[in-house]
Amino acid sequence: MTRLLLVEDDTLLAETLQDALRLEGYAVATLADGDQARERLAEAHAFDLILLDLNLPGTGGLDVLETLRRHDRDTPVLILTARGAIEDRVRGLDLGADDYLAKPFALDELEARVRALLRRRQKSGGQLQVGALAFDALAQRFTLGDEPLNLPPREQRLLSCLMRHAGEPVDKAQLAGEAFAGESLGDNAIEVYVHRLRRRLADSGVELRTVRGLGYLLATP
Amino acid sequence: MSATHSLYRRLATWLLLPLLGLGTLMLVQAYLSARDAADRAFDRLLEASSLAIAEQVKWQDDQLWLDLPPAALAMLATDAQERVFYALYDDRDNFITGNARLPGLTASDDTALHYGDIRWHGMALRLGVRASRLEGWSQRERFEVRVAHTREGRDRLALSLFAGSLGRIAIMALLAVAVVLLAVRAALAPLTRLRRAIRGRDPRTLAPLALELPRELAELRETLNDLLARMRRVRANQERFVGDASHQLRTPLAGLSARAELALRQDDPQAWRAALEAIQSASARTARLAVQLLSLTRLNNPEATPAPACLDLVETARSATRHALAACHRRGIDLGLEAPDDAVMIDGIDWQLEEALNNLIDNAQRYGARRITVRVGALPPTLEVEDDGPGIPAEQRLLMLRPFHRGAETGDGSGLGLAIVDGIARTHHARLTLAEGHGGRGLRATLLFLGDRE
Repeated sequence: MTRLLLVEDDTLLAETLQDALRLEGYAVATLADGDQARERLAEAHAFDLILLDLNLPGTGGLDVLETLRRHDRDTPVLILTARGAIEDRVRGLDLGADDYLAKPFALDELEARVRALLRRRQKSGGQLQVGALAFDALAQRFTLGDEPLNLPPREQRLLSCLMRHAGEPVDKAQLAGEAFAGESLGDNAIEVYVHRLRRRLADSGVELRTVRGLGYLLATP
Repeated sequence: MSATHSLYRRLATWLLLPLLGLGTLMLVQAYLSARDAADRAFDRLLEASSLAIAEQVKWQDDQLWLDLPPAALAMLATDAQERVFYALYDDRDNFITGNARLPGLTASDDTALHYGDIRWHGMALRLGVRASRLEGWSQRERFEVRVAHTREGRDRLALSLFAGSLGRIAIMALLAVAVVLLAVRAALAPLTRLRRAIRGRDPRTLAPLALELPRELAELRETLNDLLARMRRVRANQERFVGDASHQLRTPLAGLSARAELALRQDDPQAWRAALEAIQSASARTARLAVQLLSLTRLNNPEATPAPACLDLVETARSATRHALAACHRRGIDLGLEAPDDAVMIDGIDWQLEEALNNLIDNAQRYGARRITVRVGALPPTLEVEDDGPGIPAEQRLLMLRPFHRGAETGDGSGLGLAIVDGIARTHHARLTLAEGHGGRGLRATLLFLGDRE
């Protein structure tokens, strides 16, 4: 089971988030102050994801993060900040946080961020999942629901790249670089492949959307 | 107050330094004129004694003959123990008689007396040379009488004359210094009064300074009073803002509490659900309001503003758009970015600009847009958020920039978003304009960066 650590000193918010995340199927440990969090995180890789409030009694959230990053570079950290300012995010991201969420936030927004961060972590594991769509990187095989999804090689590379970045827009230049490195593509080749993929994914619950100015985005509605 | 910054010391220094120079000049002049007076007095004696000697020169035994009158030398020897020398020379510069072979002076014309300062055998001498001739009917032989004496008497006289003027100059100098110091102190007295008046004030009061002051300082007082007046206006604004803010926070909190109380009295789960939904949306709105109040307060505090750095507007817009993407997607809103391929560099604070964009996107979402476009322009640099919502009537657009002013009563905004954007625009020397979107629909909020401070 995926283990999450929630460091949050506000009782109501901590309890609510804990319940909500447990309902999502995660094992959640909750700590209410920075000193405890620092102690707990001395052991490397005890958790799969850490949700960290910045404004904590005892050791501040940014210090906890700094301590953690000294011996653990890859456990994803999602910062929850009440200070509301993007300037704190900059410091947090500099110190090695992976994402941030400013309070107040919607619960489903938090759940989406948690899913995205965990998925990013699984990337190396070889299994990618977006809604009903799954990709086994070792076998280079896609399944949609229970059915295998057979794709020509270029569409396959395009879709696996989009799945790695699921939930965030990927622009054409990035797609060309990551999915078709070294290949010369026609001007609107990517558009053609996207169009074909869209038809294949129709009615699957997985959407391949165009985000104006930012590229393509694979997501569940 | 340190010495270098004291106005009193500065004035005193600049007045006393020239005075010191003047005093020195006067001293030099007094010394020179004392010497001159002493020389003139003693030169008279030289003249008299040389004349007395010349009158005693006779022609006897075919040669010049001098019968020295003692009085002629006695008048030269004052009580200062000077040494006196005399000599008689004929016109071929042969020594005739005398008690020392004194040198002559060049450029002597008839019967005049010439003076010169010479050094002779290690002594400083004042020498008088008189060219004369015998006045007999048979002999008109030319001769020179040379008389000299050491300077003790002259120096003593010069010194006593100089000492007299020195005393007078010293008394004058002391008087002048005292007058200067007193005058400076008197002239600066109003400044001291002003300083005491300011220091003695209650730090909370912003009342104008009422103080009789000379013209130059009255200007300063008026400037201070202008500043105080501006501060009074700022404080009035702040008080109104705090009042508005607490009202804005209290109202939804009262609503929340009342709604919860009502729901607890009811037993119907359907009613609970409705209450919970209302409570959820009201509390989310209140929390957002608190965040916005905080950012507005920080924008209004110039001391908390970080230094601007060079940034790329395209990157800022991309980051803000990506961040708002998920929320827009959940509401089924089409959010997009239109930006040039090349970077658009300006000096600014990236998180503030991102916050401005977030507020504009957020406003568009709340007021019913279906399609929102974030746009970056290069020449001149602009950031723009356009939506296809209901827009704002032209006559209300300026009012929207005021805190707590809300346009459509149907929206669930706080009325702070555009005020925040306007504040950020001003710290970036940018102009925020609101216009209708393309095709006359919706709202287009544009930040036009005017470049360096104009």
